[in-house]
Amino acid sequence: MTAAPYNYSYIFKYIIIGDMGVGKSCLLHQFTEKKFMADCPHTIGVEFGTRIMEVNGQKVKLQIWDTAGQERFRAVTRSYYRGAAGALMVYDITRRSTYNHLSSWLTDARNLTNPNTVIILIGNKGDLEAQRDVTYEEAKQFAEENGLLFLEASAKTGENVEEAFLEAAKRIYQNIQDGSLDLNAAESGVQHKPSAPQGGRLNADSQPAKEGCSC
Amino acid sequence: LLTAKSKEPEKVTDAKVNRAPPSPHSPSLGLRNHHAIQEAAGPSHVAINAISANMDSFARGRTAILKKQPSHMEAAHFGDLGHSSVNYQPQEDRSRLSKTVEHVLRDNVAIPHYMHFMEHQGADHLVRFWLEAESFRSTSWSRVRAHSLNSVKHSSLAEPVPASPGGSELPELAQHTTNALTRDSSSERLAAHPEQRDSFSTEAGLRPGTPQAGTPSRQAPSQTGTPYKALSNSTLRDLSDKLMKILEKEAVTIFTKYISPDAVRPIPITEQIRTDIVAKICGEDGMVDPNCFVIAQSVVFTILEQQHFSDFLRSHHFCKYQIEVLTSGSVFLADILFCESALFYFSEFMEKEEAMNVLQFWLAADNFQNQLAAKKGQYDGQEAQNDAMILYDKYFSLQATNPLGFGDSVRMEIESNICREGGPLPDCFTTPLRQAWTTMEKVYMPGFLSSNLYYKYLSDLINSVRADEFVNVSSPGQGGPADNERSSSNASEAPVGLAAIKILKNFDEAITVDVASLDPESLYQRPYAGMTFGKVNEMGQFIREAEPEPDVKKSKGSMFSQAMKKWVQGNSDEAQEEMAWQIAKMIVNDVVHQSNHDSPGKATKVQNLAQYSLCCVLMCGEWLQFFSKCFLLSVCSYDPTEEPKDWHWPSQ
Repeated sequence: MTAAPYNYSYIFKYIIIGDMGVGKSCLLHQFTEKKFMADCPHTIGVEFGTRIMEVNGQKVKLQIWDTAGQERFRAVTRSYYRGAAGALMVYDITRRSTYNHLSSWLTDARNLTNPNTVIILIGNKGDLEAQRDVTYEEAKQFAEENGLLFLEASAKTGENVEEAFLEAAKRIYQNIQDGSLDLNAAESGVQHKPSAPQGGRLNADSQPAKEGCSC
Repeated sequence: LLTAKSKEPEKVTDAKVNRAPPSPHSPSLGLRNHHAIQEAAGPSHVAINAISANMDSFARGRTAILKKQPSHMEAAHFGDLGHSSVNYQPQEDRSRLSKTVEHVLRDNVAIPHYMHFMEHQGADHLVRFWLEAESFRSTSWSRVRAHSLNSVKHSSLAEPVPASPGGSELPELAQHTTNALTRDSSSERLAAHPEQRDSFSTEAGLRPGTPQAGTPSRQAPSQTGTPYKALSNSTLRDLSDKLMKILEKEAVTIFTKYISPDAVRPIPITEQIRTDIVAKICGEDGMVDPNCFVIAQSVVFTILEQQHFSDFLRSHHFCKYQIEVLTSGSVFLADILFCESALFYFSEFMEKEEAMNVLQFWLAADNFQNQLAAKKGQYDGQEAQNDAMILYDKYFSLQATNPLGFGDSVRMEIESNICREGGPLPDCFTTPLRQAWTTMEKVYMPGFLSSNLYYKYLSDLINSVRADEFVNVSSPGQGGPADNERSSSNASEAPVGLAAIKILKNFDEAITVDVASLDPESLYQRPYAGMTFGKVNEMGQFIREAEPEPDVKKSKGSMFSQAMKKWVQGNSDEAQEEMAWQIAKMIVNDVVHQSNHDSPGKATKVQNLAQYSLCCVLMCGEWLQFFSKCFLLSVCSYDPTEEPKDWHWPSQ
């Protein structure tokens, strides 16, 4: 979805990580194209997609790096973790092994990203309730223990997909506001574009959401 | 005590030196794989058929070519799974902006920045030791080599050697050298292997007193006898002694500085290692082992890598280094593509240029080739073929989802590379990769390097440095600099600089600017008068009347990069002004061109505001304050609803 240039004030860099086949590319595709790819081939290395959304009244572009989950690509995809403002760590609720591997993905994420990178845990394939292998509660607990946001989602139905990206974006924006993320530092994963359409007041309060959630 | 450990930090033979080491989980299939490939001969025909199904009916000729085995595919290559391509190295595979410890330690541009950082950490003695030990090692080996060659020369000058047929001359000469220095077992070894210099993994062979059998020199038949041995023996022995004394002196210097328990700042090594070093310096026969510090070096290297390096990469020192590279006058595409933070900006640029596909293809194909090359021939050919087919379907096939416009010849080459018996090799996509690279380099990168995005990247780097310098008071950093230290702004710091940081950081909270209340006049009101020795020109730029450095040489490079360079290297005021000037110009240009001005008054107001800002801030030399002010003003003046109007800088 190409937007008019200079239509956004910020760019946040995201990465999506997790075992192969959990639905990372499908989540991205659902988010950027609002379509479910039933037969998508696995990702070679990395791909990226973008979309603009509104966060606290600000237009924010998300630059999302979707990484290959296959183990053979692990070494090359590690290079893309650096400088990410947000990370989506995805597992498949119908396959326990993908949940068990989360600690390994989390270790990589913590080691390779910034200390204040926002990590959100996503339990994908929420539409396949009948084949559920990981309960909501245990994943929620894991997320809490590790300081992660958590959502169950379905790339197929679109449920919670927007929310997943939005929640992370809100947290990132909050970090910018309270100063823990310096948005003008390189490698923060945030680009700040000075061509905001409004004047200097960028407070959330003074800006009513005019157009609703933008695409 | 000694183990034959390899000297250097692990030499990475991968294409991408700056990336993480290859996955430890690479399956080593070995012989099994060979059979698997023979079985896979069937499916590759399936792939060929699949590809040919994509082709037009009148292109049967292509299919015929594919089914014929390429002439270079002899039996020797069958199932080698890329072993012959293991040495494939793309010419560009590193960014100067992304570093590993090993790179830093061998990069003269990076070392000063790294040293400053380590001084802050209180660990600079580790780096100094490593550098001095490394220098000792390499110069010692050079000297030894030179000495042994000299010995050979002296030997051959002492008596004419009868011409020997064929190529056994060198071993013979080496044999003579060996004889000449026969008492000293170590130097014997040193002299006997004049060609074996660059692999320092033969530490075991250099232990004093350990004769080594089977050297090339010994195998050479010695026919010429040794009548001149007595003549040159003592001369050569003297030279050898002198050499050893020099080495010993240098080694002892290093030892005293860093290894001895009495050293002011000893490096943290065990007693065992220390004893070993002593033994190697004071060898039984007076021999000094040039590799005596190697074990200690690797201990120190590990400390540097594990305890300090990631902090360095997050520090403003590293940012300064990156700025230095980026303003060196030549930035290469490799610097951008292999550096994640630069790539972030470049990706945005490419998306705006609607050229994302080129970049996406390059990233994917490069990743594919790298992970394949990292397997060093031990990979599943079928799996590799499947991966390659995904890229083919996306970018090359006639029904490609993301066609890039590669020509037919390239497509055919890819097809045959993919359908190769045994699966694709790690250089499968080299041709289109080269084309994509060239496209990015020639078509897009020049635009990127003069784009606002690029300046934004540079200014973000600068920002990281400035903010850190304001707040950081030489306490060792714990975790990233981008947290507590900066958010707890110190009131004791210079208020001007601090206010500037605050504005930029907490953009939403710290600034409430009302456009209507902006009064250009008020910008003139300053707490102190600062204008001396100069005047303000019509552009609002402060021109010094008295040149502080009248005979400073003009270095090469644009004004911008010159300014940056000076700033990075510490000559700040002039550089700051210049840079502020450039950035201001860029911002104002940007805003004015986008803003839809109709009334001349508005354009003039923007211009005036910009000029007044420039003037005021340049006078006090705080470019950062200026930057934020100008930034603010341009933001505040931006009004998208008005009609466009042309505006240009008045001629200077």
